[in-house]
Amino acid sequence: MTGAAQASRRARRLLRWYPRAWRARYGEEFTELLLADFAERPRCWSRAADVARGGLLARLATAGLAGYQADPAEAERAALAALACSLAVFLTVGAAMWAQLTIGWQWAPPGSRATTVAMTVMSAAMLAFAALALAAFLPLAWCALRDGRQRLAPLLSRPAAVAAGSALVLVVGGRHFGNGWPGTGGHWWPHQGLVPGGVAAFAWACTSWVSSYWAHPAALMAFPATEVGWMVVSPAAALCLATGIAGVVRRVRCPARVRRWQAWLGVAAAACMTVFLSAAACWVTGGGAGPRGLFHTGVIDGVGLAVLTGALAAGCRALQQVHRAGLAGRETG
Amino acid sequence: MTRSPGPGSGGMLGALGRSAGPAALILASLADGAKHGYALTKDIESFAGVRLAPGTLYEALSRLEAQGLIEALPSEDRRRPYRLTATGAAALRSHLEAQRQVADVGLRRLAGNWGTA
Repeated sequence: MTGAAQASRRARRLLRWYPRAWRARYGEEFTELLLADFAERPRCWSRAADVARGGLLARLATAGLAGYQADPAEAERAALAALACSLAVFLTVGAAMWAQLTIGWQWAPPGSRATTVAMTVMSAAMLAFAALALAAFLPLAWCALRDGRQRLAPLLSRPAAVAAGSALVLVVGGRHFGNGWPGTGGHWWPHQGLVPGGVAAFAWACTSWVSSYWAHPAALMAFPATEVGWMVVSPAAALCLATGIAGVVRRVRCPARVRRWQAWLGVAAAACMTVFLSAAACWVTGGGAGPRGLFHTGVIDGVGLAVLTGALAAGCRALQQVHRAGLAGRETG
Repeated sequence: MTRSPGPGSGGMLGALGRSAGPAALILASLADGAKHGYALTKDIESFAGVRLAPGTLYEALSRLEAQGLIEALPSEDRRRPYRLTATGAAALRSHLEAQRQVADVGLRRLAGNWGTA
């Protein structure tokens, strides 16, 4: 292989750090600059690190978590989609934690006051999340239907179908496995507990894959094959649901007032995330050892707290970008 | 500690955050005419003694372009030149005047307390 061909290959490899849209716009000229730089400084580790950093920043910008997009409306949509993804991660891990406590309460009330308070606050936050999701979904669905009838139908149909299909899988699978779960039975109003049994069982079944059983394959294999299969299928369905919703948010052309409404809901969601996280931290750190039942905290709950914190941080970063893009949009009219 | 808007913190370049340094160098380089990426690197190296690495250069170029401070010209032999826009020229002027104000104050105070070198 000649030196020129090798250099060209090195440049192409470095270019892969950048997202596709960036490569389409700047790829050719950036490759030329890299080739000139290779000729002057054949061995330079800092150049590779610099290109990697630039590529990751460009990917964050494309994902709506860093802002230098030319079109403020596009930047706002990207940031709202990033916020939706952060919320999806938060809700998945949060629901897994909450469902564990909820089902525990149906067996026996918590012995620790910290757990009781945490459970009550987390349940209130979950109710608020549901209300916010409905308030965000209705105008988005209206805009999607309006756009779907117009020119954007081909762009919207795929993410909308992915979101609807995966939601259906989660609902059907969640109901099926929730009803069969020992201890819950899907009773709608149990004699004791804070949350209707059917809701608790459904939340647990949808998030049963957030489990430390993955670290204990022998114990996992003792489960019926269908349940293990569901623990593999359900995260894929949750991922598809989040991706589909983010795709719709990113593509729907909402009027500015609807985007402002979504941004306001995002702020409210971040506040709920903070409240939920505080309550979860209260349970994990102050709930005491408790009985070795579902109120007992383990390593996975510590990991869950870390994931919730990361998702909240990413959501706040996305909200900053939403705010910045909104301001830029109003300045440019 | 409170943060007040100083002479060098505001303006369109201030909004570029960590890219403000490379952005100012790029705008200063483009002030005397359009240049492509490699020519910008060499020019900045000659007048500022700083070599902008390719990733840093293009991060700043894409931000400046998104802000409308520079614009791309048609590609020449796979290299695309960039030129300053009127907004970019105004932003650079404002940034440099703020820098000059800081430099003037610093030099005056140095001369008053430490004498001339």
